[in-house]
Amino acid sequence: MRIGVVGADVPRQVVLACGAVPVRILGSWTGAVSQEATELLGAADAVAARVLDEILSGDHDELAGLVVCNDSMADLRVYYVLRILDERGRVPFPVHLLDAPRGGGAHRRRFVSHQYERLAAFVSGVTGQQVDATSLAEAAAREAKLGQALEAVQGRRRERVLSGTTALTAYRAAAQLSPEDAWERIGELVRSAAEPVELDEPAELAGARVPVYLTGSSHPDATVYAALEAAGAVVVGEDHDAGDAAWIGDAVNAATLEEACAQLADRHTARPPAAARSLSSERTEHLLAETERCGAAGVVALVRDLDDGPVWDLAEYRPALASRDLWLAEQLRVPAGGVQDATAGIIRALQRNVNRKDAL
Amino acid sequence: MTEPRTPAQPRTPQAPAGQRLRSAVAATRHQKEWFQTVRQRAAAGEPIALVNADAPHEVFRALDIPYVVTQWWSSIIAAKQAGPASMDRLAAGGLPDFSLQYDAMPLGEQDLPAEDRPWGGLPAPRFAVAERSGDVTAKIFEQWGNRPGTETFLLSRTGADPVPDRWWELVPHQWEQAFGTERLDLLEGEIQDLIAWLEERTGRTMDYGRLAEIMALGNEQAEWNRRTRDLIATTRPTPVLVNDTMPAVMAPQWQRGTQWAVDAARSLYEETAERVDRQVAVCPGERKRLMWVGRGLWSDLGLYTRFQEEFGAVFVWSMYLAIAADGYLRYGDDPVRALAARFVGITDQLYVPPWSSQWYVKEALTHGVDGVVHLVADDTPGSGFITEALEAEGIPVLEIRANNADQRSSSAARIPERIAEFIRRRV
Repeated sequence: MRIGVVGADVPRQVVLACGAVPVRILGSWTGAVSQEATELLGAADAVAARVLDEILSGDHDELAGLVVCNDSMADLRVYYVLRILDERGRVPFPVHLLDAPRGGGAHRRRFVSHQYERLAAFVSGVTGQQVDATSLAEAAAREAKLGQALEAVQGRRRERVLSGTTALTAYRAAAQLSPEDAWERIGELVRSAAEPVELDEPAELAGARVPVYLTGSSHPDATVYAALEAAGAVVVGEDHDAGDAAWIGDAVNAATLEEACAQLADRHTARPPAAARSLSSERTEHLLAETERCGAAGVVALVRDLDDGPVWDLAEYRPALASRDLWLAEQLRVPAGGVQDATAGIIRALQRNVNRKDAL
Repeated sequence: MTEPRTPAQPRTPQAPAGQRLRSAVAATRHQKEWFQTVRQRAAAGEPIALVNADAPHEVFRALDIPYVVTQWWSSIIAAKQAGPASMDRLAAGGLPDFSLQYDAMPLGEQDLPAEDRPWGGLPAPRFAVAERSGDVTAKIFEQWGNRPGTETFLLSRTGADPVPDRWWELVPHQWEQAFGTERLDLLEGEIQDLIAWLEERTGRTMDYGRLAEIMALGNEQAEWNRRTRDLIATTRPTPVLVNDTMPAVMAPQWQRGTQWAVDAARSLYEETAERVDRQVAVCPGERKRLMWVGRGLWSDLGLYTRFQEEFGAVFVWSMYLAIAADGYLRYGDDPVRALAARFVGITDQLYVPPWSSQWYVKEALTHGVDGVVHLVADDTPGSGFITEALEAEGIPVLEIRANNADQRSSSAARIPERIAEFIRRRV
């Protein structure tokens, strides 16, 4: 049984222990946004509108239920709209809100822990399977094995054997397939990783293999990664929740659901800071650590229009990155249909930065 | 639904042209004078606070920490034409000038030249406190904490779940049912943390008896607003203009928990009742009663009276008095938990469907409106559900998509022309 997930806050072990597979609905960079979705959501990130369009057009009707995370204003709006439409029979499955505020502290941890228990009740209600020590342990083992596969991806990526495009594909498989199917798929991706990335002709950055780190909006698909890497860059890491910051592969040892939820709520506080829910200082600290870990030469910030969280981080990013001699290429307020132009702009900026470095 | 209250006498005197409600004028004047006392206290070395509209102001009142509400201060900055310059200062500091401007504008105002600062400017706050609403508010308030002498405290903003029907009947006493125990537990705990945080920094001690008194004053104020709202709902023709009740309600709202605010709310009621007794009509030939759903059209407040002469159409409702009547009442023995209940879902009541649509329908029916102009907010979800619910009750709705504070946007939307056409064809 498959449970759809909008957003990045779901503790997958809980869903697995309830007998379901969490399937992340990511949306896409491209494609039309319907007038209905625009009017229902108001001014919101186009990716959220595309997610809503997918759901309302029946693309996910095979799901047994849907969990929507309050991990951004756009996703919360998706929940509010779907709650109404669900009552009207417009959605063929029950819809549930998972609300896991960031910021840590005893009160938030307790609230989040209760939210995970409610999540389990929702999924169990759909599957008919209650959580017990055995199902928690089995789910932990399945999730941990998937986590090991993703660690292998990260290792190959650090060795520059695996492209960012392939890594993002691996994360997508992990987020959308059963742990076993994802494990198989990721294995194939890692094994085929020795194949060189094909470059566009003329590849402006060919030979440079500039290692770049991605920040800004999340990347629901590999559109931007593929374009950057075709132009000669290598995406060595990212801080968005469809990539390195995805919460996949994490599991706890617990005898009861309450114990598991409390431990997972602790883990939630240790997750990478999110653009829409964390402070700029936290994000900057994380960015500096990750660019160093990944050996990035610079940072690309691509931010969609109406996804305002990331733009507030840039004021701290700019001096912090400059102090590390890292350049920052920005494309802000990227319109719903503007990803190609924005990516082209980034590639031109990369070229300028590479040339400047060469001249130094 | 209550029955309309109609005057016994056939003759209805018109409110003298241009004569505003005394309570509106007094409230606006008081707010300006009060702001200067805040400046004086800050100049004398007292800590002051900048707080968002959805933060638990009563904590600051009880600790005698003067506070200024971000959105109110932004409205003053904008009214004094200092908005663009303030946003320019933000941009100069590398911050976005296009994102949540009404929350961000006071940050830029801090850096304006002294002579350009409205009313002398907001003194640097010692504390900046907000809920983590949306994706950006926390980051804006984090910026305040980066300024010398200011520290930031952030509270959680949880999603509106559950949403039991008819929230306005539940929230005064049955707020546990309205908002859910877990949401309340979280905010109550965080308010306790905020109190401890402020006590540590000011050396003051919270007097919980005083906090209970402040909560009681807030409830008393809301009860007066209820009486005023109910009186207007049942009076034909309508005795007051919505562009008068807006300032008469909102200035005291930011002074909530004081005797002055209670007295201001009572004055508004008494002045309205006096007009009803004298059978004053703001539109003597009233034939159509209109409701304005959405934020006030600050860029063109004259719009609200523009259809009286030609159509006998008068706006009898805006959300400002109505939410002051229904949105803030919270009774309970534990003042901290009641305070958490006041704020945990304050914006949900107005903006989250189905709560929003249910409430607007209730208000439309009790006010006996003949038509609704719905200024659709693009920063809230499901506006269409509001229109749909009103139309389902047989109330025609005109949807307008425009920015309420931006005159260019409202001009482009041809609002007056479209309302006139709407009245002719559908009301």
